[in-house]
Amino acid sequence: MSAFFDAQVNCLLGLNCVNPVSPVEPETLTIFNPEENIMKKRLSLKLALLSLVSSLTMGAALAQQTTLRVFVGPNQRPDLQAKLFEQYNKANPGVRVEIETGGATSELQRQYLSTVLNAKDSAIDLFLIDIVNPAQYASKGWIEPLDRYVGGAAALRTDYLPVYQQANVIGGKVYAMPSQGDAMFMYYRKDLLAKHGVSEPKTWDDLAAAAKKITGAEGNANLQGLSIQGAAIEGAVCTFLLPYWGQGKQFNDAAGKLTLDKASAVKGLNTWLGMVDQGVIKKNVAEITTPITVNEFKAGQVVFAINWGFAYDRFQDDADSKVKGQVGVMPLPAMTGGKSATCMGGWQWAMNAFGKNKDAAGKLIQFLSSKQASAFIAREGSILPVFQSVYADPEVNKVVPWFKDALPVVLGAQSRPMVEDYGQVSDIIRTTTSAILARTKTVDAGVDEIATRVGRLMR
Amino acid sequence: MLPNWRDPSEKTLAVLLLAPAFLLLLLIVVYPIGKLLYNSLFAVDKDSAFIGLRNYLDVWQDPLFWNATQNTVLITLITVPGALVLGLGLALLANLPFRRKWPVRLALLLPWALPLSFAGLIFAWFLNTDYGVVNDVLRRAGLQSEPVSWLLKPNWAFAAICLTVIWKTSSFIALILLAGLQMIPNSLYEAAEVDGASRWQQFWQVTVPMLMPSIMVALIFRTITALQTFDIPYTMTRGGPGEATETLAMLIHKYTIEYSSIGMGSTLAVNMFLISLVVTGFYLRHIGRDAA
Repeated sequence: MSAFFDAQVNCLLGLNCVNPVSPVEPETLTIFNPEENIMKKRLSLKLALLSLVSSLTMGAALAQQTTLRVFVGPNQRPDLQAKLFEQYNKANPGVRVEIETGGATSELQRQYLSTVLNAKDSAIDLFLIDIVNPAQYASKGWIEPLDRYVGGAAALRTDYLPVYQQANVIGGKVYAMPSQGDAMFMYYRKDLLAKHGVSEPKTWDDLAAAAKKITGAEGNANLQGLSIQGAAIEGAVCTFLLPYWGQGKQFNDAAGKLTLDKASAVKGLNTWLGMVDQGVIKKNVAEITTPITVNEFKAGQVVFAINWGFAYDRFQDDADSKVKGQVGVMPLPAMTGGKSATCMGGWQWAMNAFGKNKDAAGKLIQFLSSKQASAFIAREGSILPVFQSVYADPEVNKVVPWFKDALPVVLGAQSRPMVEDYGQVSDIIRTTTSAILARTKTVDAGVDEIATRVGRLMR
Repeated sequence: MLPNWRDPSEKTLAVLLLAPAFLLLLLIVVYPIGKLLYNSLFAVDKDSAFIGLRNYLDVWQDPLFWNATQNTVLITLITVPGALVLGLGLALLANLPFRRKWPVRLALLLPWALPLSFAGLIFAWFLNTDYGVVNDVLRRAGLQSEPVSWLLKPNWAFAAICLTVIWKTSSFIALILLAGLQMIPNSLYEAAEVDGASRWQQFWQVTVPMLMPSIMVALIFRTITALQTFDIPYTMTRGGPGEATETLAMLIHKYTIEYSSIGMGSTLAVNMFLISLVVTGFYLRHIGRDAA
């Protein structure tokens, strides 16, 4: 009986539905012996009680299992995150992690998460957020300070890239933990530069000259000199900042106050427009998004392209890439007399302040922001590490040799303004930059608009 | 005095029968509107400072609000009559005595059945600078030496959006008008023919007056949805270049979702609600009464 009962309970709990032993056990059919029968009954009763207790304990253990729901954008490799969660689950069988994904771009993910968090929804426990978001989320009270889970701001001062300390520590408290590094790089066609005897350009003027020389000699009408992102997407904020920073200017001070030098901003944007006029950049640059740059470079239609770190993997590994083995990476050129500067990106783990499983989520964050996790996604997905030492990790370098050259670029990278109203600041910069590149606004009027409107938000 | 529940008077019965519908409306219409008005009086959201009518003053001084309002009104003024004329034409065409009616009706239904954002994306691809069919056809016809970026030029982008909206919505109008056309008795046309009326005269003297109630219904629906235009410009231009094609609904979305400013978003929504209210009131008071 007990085995039958046990099987029934197990089956009900969904553990193991095997054919239960028949309730009519063979021995009950033997010749009647009252004593033996009483003993058997007692034994059966004990076994039944034991099995009930064991089944209840197992049930309670199942009920104790915590399910954490995490949100990961589709570009942040949910497939690799799933492998990390599997590793975590092996070491912590009590925690199960479910992945939710959505929102093709950083802006769309921000829109989705702000809808969820404005409603104080507890459904998602952890989320990966863009480097520009912690300040905004923290000011709204949407994300939980992580100090008690990760050991305070000191934890970020160890080996993490300095830019992630700045982005994730707000008012002395840790609000997010870095997971994936990213920065804008200059990709170029090694074969074309070699063929035409052109060396890596150090300034934007050199780059324009090199691009013109190569496209002119190739005589291919579809070959572009330089591809940048001019559509009103998050990448256009970097398109605005790159030639501005490249003059050694700062967009904001440490307190988040706008320090825009309008003349330099005008000069920066005129650099792009000048390249459009020279035919180095496409005329419809204001339509170009990050994926368009990736696809056109992959199709062999671009000599130089500015894009995020993830693009390298796409150029080298995608089945439809025509430029495999011909992709060079270098720091972004500087403005003449200035210094090279690039835009820092990257993704951080943050905890929902309205979540119901904070302790379990805190432990998971510790694991996900560990050096081991960073090295794993670097090896498996060529994702830039957030730890300096991982860039030189021989295991990582075996798979992704270009990472050792990427470290100086990443160390010199600057971050976009980290302010509470970043959503609005970003919208103003990208919409205006795109309108300037579409030539529906003059450079002077556009820069004035950015200075006035952003100035109101960053004072 | 308490009503007599066993044998209620007609008035009591009316109240009792109306109560569920009234309560439902209270919950799904009055409560959200009340909440919207309430939210519009706070700085960012209801947890932040109460600022009275400050948001309203800010909105009315914001050039972006007036730009979006102007775009919305223009889209309404262009696309509602445009869709009406095209829809009427389509309805008349579908009403012809075809041997097989279903292909015509299907063609009529198809644009209406497509999701709005889908229609926006299709037209955005048609007009794409590098890969669009429009530039390709113009180039092959020898009318263009280099590709035009239609959606990067404010006037062309605006025209493209209007065209897409008209294409998308005229089939809805056609469906309503087709139903209206089929209700016009044939005897009226026969009588007109006996009186010597030409086809043109029959259209103006019989079809149009008999169709007026259907036209009114179509106009009211279409105008209200035109004032709420969001999906098509959002997918085609995201409001660009700059803010050249940004509508009021897009501005509300921007403030509420992108900027997380529920207060400003609610204020803009109240303004849009007032505009819708004025337009609907105008229809109901003036044109609706005449048509009736």
